[in-house]
Amino acid sequence: MKNLPNIAVKQSLSTLLQVVLLSLVWLLASRLSHSFLPAVPAGVLGMFLVLAALALGWLPLAWCKSGARWLLAEMLLFFIPATVAVVQYPQLMGSIGLRIVLVILLSTVLVMTVTSLVVDAGYKFEILLKRRKRQHGVS
Amino acid sequence: MENLLAFGCLLLTLVLYWLAKKLYRRTGNWWSAPLLAVPLLVIGAVVVGHIPYHTYFQDTHWLSWLLGPATVAFAIPIYEQRQVIRKHALSLSCGVLVAMPVAVLSSVWLARAFGLSELLQKSLAPRSISTPFAMATASSIGASPDLTAVFVVITGVAGMLLGELMLMLLPLRSRLAKGALLGAAAHGAGTAKANELGAEEGVVASLTMMLGGIATVFAAPLIAWFV
Repeated sequence: MKNLPNIAVKQSLSTLLQVVLLSLVWLLASRLSHSFLPAVPAGVLGMFLVLAALALGWLPLAWCKSGARWLLAEMLLFFIPATVAVVQYPQLMGSIGLRIVLVILLSTVLVMTVTSLVVDAGYKFEILLKRRKRQHGVS
Repeated sequence: MENLLAFGCLLLTLVLYWLAKKLYRRTGNWWSAPLLAVPLLVIGAVVVGHIPYHTYFQDTHWLSWLLGPATVAFAIPIYEQRQVIRKHALSLSCGVLVAMPVAVLSSVWLARAFGLSELLQKSLAPRSISTPFAMATASSIGASPDLTAVFVVITGVAGMLLGELMLMLLPLRSRLAKGALLGAAAHGAGTAKANELGAEEGVVASLTMMLGGIATVFAAPLIAWFV
């Protein structure tokens, strides 16, 4: 009976520790990026560090998986404060705001169309390559 | 008094987010989507209450801070999906390499054609990628990261509304193309939609979103030179 909440507490505690671990990686990466690699943003540098550590087997996946899942699932919450900054730009209301929304809508339609058609063509090419490889393998 | 108000702002943001998430999960109404409802409600409260932005940001900046670790966290899904990346390396890289310049160039050119200021042109440039990548790109090309964050959110809402329509209109055969359409054009919001279509669409959407974000960050000097 008492075991169930215990497991839940243990899981959230381990998620919390993993979030702390990923935050420490981020702090380390921002130090590194600040003093050696100002061209690479700290977050991206930290991502490559973790990716390398995972690929080399230095970091077990289980040590960061649930923390990463939580951070990515709640990401929307983290950028709300930045969107509220729009109150500092009252000039964006009205005609300029309307034009911005129009730019975004048109550009979004364009990106959707071009990207999906290119990927569809790439996919057909992938199948073609595979088929050719198989035929060569047989003959 | 100001400290209390700042703490109240943090609390309000957390509670509204939690409520919107619950409501959206239960009803599925587009207007309760946390992406749309929470920023609008919080902005409304800040405007009505005459709360200065620095007071609002005093405690909520901890939430913004977590975007850093969230970017690092992208390593885990990329690592887990390395098989998919290897299998579809060709179509994925084509998709990312085409989507990124189309998104940046069309945003900047359209903004210029509509007579928007240079700051707005720059801030619109990285709008189609995931927020942490977009804000990082914005600060390295001399745009306003705050404005970019707002444009990223509007893009997400636009992608949710337009995604289904475009999937109906375009003659797409592969699940790969459907996922790439949503991930490249509408980052996290598109990925959520793609997950509703199917697991493969979801994986491809999230990969397109992440790889596109990384590619844009590295292309930042090129974008800065162009705008």
